[in-house]
Amino acid sequence: MSNYNILNNDVHKNLRVNTGRSAQLGDNIMYSMTFPMEFRDIQSCYPIFFCKDPESGQLYPAALFGFEQDHNLFLSDSGWDASYIPMMIRRHPFLIGFQADPDGPEGATKPVVSIDSDSPRLIEVDGVDSQEGEALFNQDGTPSDFLQASIGTLESIHRGLEHNKGFIAALLEHELLEPFSLEITLNDGSNNQLVGFYTIAEEKLQSLDGETLAKFNAQGYLQSIYMAIASFARLRPMIDKKNAQLG
Amino acid sequence: MNHKINRVVIVGGGTAGWLSAGVIAAEHCIGSKNGCREGSFQLTLVESPDIATIGVGEGTWPSMRNTLQKMGISETEFFRECSASFKQGTLFRGWRTGEDDIYTHPFTAPQSYTEVNLAPHWQTAREQINFAQAVSPQSALFADKLAPKKISTPEYAFNVNYGYHLDAAKFAEFLRKHCVEKLGVTHVKANVIGINSAENGDIASIATDSHGNVEGELFIDCSGSRALLLGEHFGIPVCSKSDILFNNNALAAQIPYTNENDPIESCTLSTAQSAGWIWEIGLPTRRGIGHVYSSDHNTEERASEELLNYIASTVSQQAAAAATLRKVQFSPGHRAKFWHKNCVAIGMSAGFIEPLEASALVLVELSAAMIAEQLPANRGVMDLVAKRFNDKFLYRWDRIIEFLKLHYVLSQRRDTEYWRDNCEASSIPERLTDLLTLWRHQSPWHRDNNNVDDMFPSASFQYVLYGMDFETMPSQTQRRSEQAEGLRAGHLFQENMARTKQLQASLPSNRDLINKIYTFGFQKI
Repeated sequence: MSNYNILNNDVHKNLRVNTGRSAQLGDNIMYSMTFPMEFRDIQSCYPIFFCKDPESGQLYPAALFGFEQDHNLFLSDSGWDASYIPMMIRRHPFLIGFQADPDGPEGATKPVVSIDSDSPRLIEVDGVDSQEGEALFNQDGTPSDFLQASIGTLESIHRGLEHNKGFIAALLEHELLEPFSLEITLNDGSNNQLVGFYTIAEEKLQSLDGETLAKFNAQGYLQSIYMAIASFARLRPMIDKKNAQLG
Repeated sequence: MNHKINRVVIVGGGTAGWLSAGVIAAEHCIGSKNGCREGSFQLTLVESPDIATIGVGEGTWPSMRNTLQKMGISETEFFRECSASFKQGTLFRGWRTGEDDIYTHPFTAPQSYTEVNLAPHWQTAREQINFAQAVSPQSALFADKLAPKKISTPEYAFNVNYGYHLDAAKFAEFLRKHCVEKLGVTHVKANVIGINSAENGDIASIATDSHGNVEGELFIDCSGSRALLLGEHFGIPVCSKSDILFNNNALAAQIPYTNENDPIESCTLSTAQSAGWIWEIGLPTRRGIGHVYSSDHNTEERASEELLNYIASTVSQQAAAAATLRKVQFSPGHRAKFWHKNCVAIGMSAGFIEPLEASALVLVELSAAMIAEQLPANRGVMDLVAKRFNDKFLYRWDRIIEFLKLHYVLSQRRDTEYWRDNCEASSIPERLTDLLTLWRHQSPWHRDNNNVDDMFPSASFQYVLYGMDFETMPSQTQRRSEQAEGLRAGHLFQENMARTKQLQASLPSNRDLINKIYTFGFQKI
């Protein structure tokens, strides 16, 4: 379970973060949320689908890592074998929290950096000499380069979440998403079925009028849509990986 | 005689009127006020600004999902605007013996109903598990007040079949907006002050107080039990069914929840009384609780006392003390025919019987759907369509009446005259008597639904019969398929148990899902 607290340079000064990639550190997952701003990198490694948040039913784009729950085909003993790791994976153990903004109008909130105190990535150290993992703060209490980079990732995610809302709303408005199920037969004859995912409805896309296409182009959605379609090509290498694991 | 149908006029704007308008307008291109374009007709609904719609809680059948979807209504908007909640069936209390007995009629048919009739296989295990629980997960789900789906399930789709409970006044208003804004229906707010006849006896127009004469080629009477056109103008009589179904009075109350977030029932509760039964319908905002009874068997005083006792024991003493009871009287029955000349009645103008099994709205849906589908091409063929319509709906009314009567004749209660009278042979339709004789030897199944117009599937008969402890004798002869089918049935019972557990663990509560619909809404996909 997660236990998020607002990051504080006093309370958390003795924490360091293990940036390795392994099942123990929580990386053995089937898919993760992604954002159009990283689609270019994502589509070079992973298929992009859309799925629903079970708590809200809201759709979001996701990068697929495996064909079954708790199984990441890119994860091996030597780490995460891909040229790009999605932002939602890199963010750990941080998350954007929101707290009341005393300077803003009533009810306003501002984003703050939170840390998951129960994350397996955290290493508690006594002194500053430890070299394991990455420090959060410099000796003077200022954020370390690592933390600054992480905050940069969180800020991108924050923008990405907003962008996703518009992107998904546009896709739904034009009925450009459709349910998708994929049956994968492996070399050993076993079947893996992917259900509950959605993909771009290409026939609908091809019948969009010029005005909508121009609008999508101006909003940057058009490129994202085609990158999602192109990312399908990444399924084949994943099936090969799966077959290779079967031996 | 062969002039085209250019103007259809609906008289009355309650649920029946607006639902009919919506169903017809969803099927056809409706022309604008200023003349019809080719291939379209004008659809006008005349509604009295003075008659208020009564906000009763009502139950629908699962058919309403399709009806709403076809009209292009967002299910999310429907939930938000109509105080709707999920209904998965009915739970009956005290109908069998008057004690604590319970049985259910879920909307989902038994497992693999198209392939295997599980009823005979259940007979051997009837002491261990009740029929509905053995063959379908649904009654366990509504016992836990769970929803039939999740927030991630697309709109109108489901894990288990469902209909709705809704606020009828809000529903009528919601439909009005949709019909006028999206479907091109013309809304005239005026009181009907007269009816003008054509030479052939048809209605030529209706005279109104503020909009002059509203002319039309087809008039749909949705004016309620008054039946302004079919009853008052044409004098089509009501065929009374009070010799079969005795209930003719209702006392209704709206009871707020004790706490705002109290669970919402996801089935209709029906609790038998000394001379009738009490309904309870859970809306997100309040419960609708009412007592429908026979005034020949009970006094109003005693009926209201029973109702208040029910509210006191199921909700609270305070709720009972604060309850305002509204009285409704009705004569159970339907018109001798529903379509006469160029006028057809839908809703209470066509007929009304007690709300057991919630057949009122589904009859509106079916009537409007048939008019939409078979809209006469011209006045010349209207009489032929009218005859078909009358035959079909007389058949449907008879089936509904038989099915409702079934609930009473199976009762073992003899504690009051009401229950004794209900089992008098003279009060039971002959066709039902015959069926009961047959069902002693073979359980209802698809062969019993040989008419597409049957209102209740044979599965519904199974739920009521076996819920009420009816016994079908084992087959006299051994069938060749018996062993294989027995094995298959065993698997299906197991499967049903597993599926029940899985759904119980994964479905949200009725209240939680409704709150999520308010916050997030359903997706279309």
